[in-house]
Amino acid sequence: MSATNCLRCLGRPSVAGASRGVVVPVFAPRTAPFSTTAIQNALPAKGKSGEHQDRSVRVYRAGRKMTFKKKHTGDRGKPPAPGERKAFRKKIVLSNDNALPVPWVTEMEASSLSNENKVGTIVSLPPAVQDQLRATEAFQPTQTWGLFRKPSTLIRKETVELVGKMEKATANKQTARVVLTGEKISGKSTMLIQAQSYAYLNNWIVIHFPDAQELTNGSTEYAPVPNTENPTLYMQQNYCLKLLQSIKKANEKILAKLLTVSNHSELPQNIPVNQTLLSLINAAKEAEGAWSVFQALWSELNAHGANRPPILLSMDNLPHIMKISEYRSASFDKIHSHDLSLVKLFTEALSGNTRFPSGGAVIAATNRNNGPRIPSMELALKQRLAEQRASQEETVPVRDPYFKGYDDRVEKVLKSVEVMEVNRIGKREARSLMEYWAASGLLRTTVDEQTVSEKWTLGGGGVLGEMERAALLTMKI
Amino acid sequence: MVSLFGVNFHEAKLVQKALQHFYALGPQTATRIMAKHYIHPRAKIGTLSPKTVIALTAELSGMVIESDARNIIQDNIKRLRDMGTYRGRRHAMNLPVRGQRTRNQNMTAIKLNRVERQG
Repeated sequence: MSATNCLRCLGRPSVAGASRGVVVPVFAPRTAPFSTTAIQNALPAKGKSGEHQDRSVRVYRAGRKMTFKKKHTGDRGKPPAPGERKAFRKKIVLSNDNALPVPWVTEMEASSLSNENKVGTIVSLPPAVQDQLRATEAFQPTQTWGLFRKPSTLIRKETVELVGKMEKATANKQTARVVLTGEKISGKSTMLIQAQSYAYLNNWIVIHFPDAQELTNGSTEYAPVPNTENPTLYMQQNYCLKLLQSIKKANEKILAKLLTVSNHSELPQNIPVNQTLLSLINAAKEAEGAWSVFQALWSELNAHGANRPPILLSMDNLPHIMKISEYRSASFDKIHSHDLSLVKLFTEALSGNTRFPSGGAVIAATNRNNGPRIPSMELALKQRLAEQRASQEETVPVRDPYFKGYDDRVEKVLKSVEVMEVNRIGKREARSLMEYWAASGLLRTTVDEQTVSEKWTLGGGGVLGEMERAALLTMKI
Repeated sequence: MVSLFGVNFHEAKLVQKALQHFYALGPQTATRIMAKHYIHPRAKIGTLSPKTVIALTAELSGMVIESDARNIIQDNIKRLRDMGTYRGRRHAMNLPVRGQRTRNQNMTAIKLNRVERQG
């Protein structure tokens, strides 16, 4: 006698079985009751094909057109709105309420960064400076500000040296021209932040280019500057407008006090003498006239005899402006980065051709992570370092006669700059940093000589970012 | 939507891609056209000024693209066919023209090779 149910169906008795008094299971739900899979990920209910979409794939096989149905992958939800992903990627978090406040961290003052006795201490950035630094996009999402209660920085030996140079230059109404170089994640961008903080606290005017790459990688609009030939210069109006707005936001208080010394009738809105520089910046409402407004602002800031404050001109990711840009001229020739007017303004200042009336500083930081290799720049920086050391044993390196990739324009710009190496921190600095980490509740070990030595060694012998990686980011969630 | 040479493009479309949408206008020509009008490589078509869009349309209308370019190819094939050449015949039979084998893998030829060739 054959069974009414086949063996495979024994687990789920048929209706016929039910009539024989077998317990009927409750109606099976759409997803298995023990499943932890979200309903969204489950297979769609069969039967209703009203929402069926054609997901078939057509291929040619053996001369015939064949159609295969693709598996339905389920609803993927709404994709993020335009710009949402980038905003998330660029999000800067400066505080963490779960981290403990560190009692001995004091707020940065105008003179703290140049004080040699403060080397190895941690100071926090005042809220006003934080806003200014945010406005110039000085903070980077890869830095670890978001782990601590308050954004604070370590005063390094190099910080005091750099700020000392800035101080000394302005005292003599000179311009300090410094290129920061050093290993990957050794703290070059953070040094720029410190230099800027010093400038803000001492009422300088700060113009910061957060990422040189944005100027040269062909991602902003460009147009030739009228009446420039041999070489033709190119202006980047949209970038200029963005830069003007960041300058305005970061230096609002000082700009509101400075007055124009000459008439600017060429601007979209006529700016007569004795107007504030803030109103001059406000004249740039659209990208259209942004470059001319920027030029006017630059000439006003550099007006001699007008009692202007010192200027800090800084740029991160320097190698990007030392190469041929991605832009092309109308005759399809590649445009050298130094022919872009904003870049030219910076290189003129870096090479010392522009002199600020009340002195100031031009600081550029190289980058190792995504920076292009610029043989001329590398050579020039090595030459400057060798010249600075001026030792008998070391000779100044020269060009390789068999290599063609050198660029005269780059070497000319870097001919007389000071080069500062931002390298490894000492164990004393490392210890105070680790004590700060431990007091913030982020490093859960006792900080003694052994742990400091361990993390210092794990971090490539005191490379600050590597130490952070070894000690802090292992527990990053 | 931005209308370029009679075709509507979404604002978020790259200018480079929009230009390459036209038949017989490849990456080289598109880059050159963009350089001529000072359009940066990553420009989206929505950011172009109306003046630039008109200038681009004028530029494209002077070029041999789309149906003009297709006609040239079709004429060339038709000439081969009318002369009775082997290549012309192979085109007419939708078979490979340049000596490839036809036992396997000739689908591209079957799809494309014909006297009134479309793509």
